[in-house]
Amino acid sequence: MSCSPFDLKEYFLKELPIPQAAQVEDHVNMCSGCREELDRLQLTEAALFSLRDEEIPQRIAFVSDKIFEPSPIRRWLSAFWGQSARLGFASAAMLSAAIVFSSVNQPAPAPTPGPAAIQKVAAVAPTPEEIQARIDAAVAKSVDQALKQSEKSKQLVADLTRANEQGQAMLLRAMGEIEILQKHAQVQKIANSTLPPPPTGEDK
Amino acid sequence: MIFRAVEDADLIRQAARGSVESYNLLVSRWEKRVYNYLLRMTANREDALDLTQDVFLKAYQNLRKLDDPGRFAAWLYRIAHNEAFSMFRKRRPETDVDELEPTPTETRVTVGGSSVFPMELSLAVSGALGRLSAEQREAVVLKIYQGFKFEEMAEILSCPVSTIKSRLYTALELLKTELAPVKARGVS
Repeated sequence: MSCSPFDLKEYFLKELPIPQAAQVEDHVNMCSGCREELDRLQLTEAALFSLRDEEIPQRIAFVSDKIFEPSPIRRWLSAFWGQSARLGFASAAMLSAAIVFSSVNQPAPAPTPGPAAIQKVAAVAPTPEEIQARIDAAVAKSVDQALKQSEKSKQLVADLTRANEQGQAMLLRAMGEIEILQKHAQVQKIANSTLPPPPTGEDK
Repeated sequence: MIFRAVEDADLIRQAARGSVESYNLLVSRWEKRVYNYLLRMTANREDALDLTQDVFLKAYQNLRKLDDPGRFAAWLYRIAHNEAFSMFRKRRPETDVDELEPTPTETRVTVGGSSVFPMELSLAVSGALGRLSAEQREAVVLKIYQGFKFEEMAEILSCPVSTIKSRLYTALELLKTELAPVKARGVS
């Protein structure tokens, strides 16, 4: 049993405030019983520290572990903002900025023409004769273009007809040659069947 | 120490927002301490490593529930304590929690039949720790090896400081009886 003014174990375990710890130290220096008790506690502690801390045999890391990935919602949000939505948002922002910029910097609209200007325009309007002349010119131009197109079409038809005739002529020639070859083959066949067999070695 | 505490708090906040890199750094700072706490509680390296993995997994999953990052250490050891005692209960479900002893027959820490601590003193210490109850051993480990204050231990173990003192003082008396003479012989 310790006669220390404060708990000797609390002093040993460093749980006492500094003033009280100082009193215990003073007491221990004078009391052999408490000195021996404190020595035994310190020996016990030294023995306990013979078991050293060990290094962890396998580092614990979580970077590649699936379970440590963010939640599906968080991942979805991350993917959402990381891909098309962010691009879309940026595009929309740029478009908005462009609209605002153009609206701010757009030049003022031209003043609407007054009655004087209307009269001026009316004054320079073409007469019916001029309109008729322009219509006639346009019609003549269209007719001219149609005639040219018709001539081109006739030329194309003539080319096609000529090519067709040439093809037919070639086909007829090919048919005649085939007929001649067939006749030659027939003659050869008849000749082979009527000729005597070729002489053999026994005849000699 | 102040800088370290601030850095830990920053890492905890970032990790709570989903930064795995911050959490990895946090783990690298605490894994050795937690592993050694669990190693001395379980006296088995494989169990200690598995439990350490579980502790940091649960810590990550519940990090947002930690209101005060300054209390991270006590909170983390609370998880480790729960994991260790959960394993004890699974292995010996019929035993009352107060009587749980993770190494009831072994007198030294072994892995695959080989001695981890070959020296005589280390064996004596392992044996003496193994003969303590789980609560007494935990009090010794948290106080002597991990350096927690009584108030922090009370928070970790969810019990009054008076209970902590009682467990620790009883354990120290038992250890003193066994180990002080051995150590004294070694010193002399």
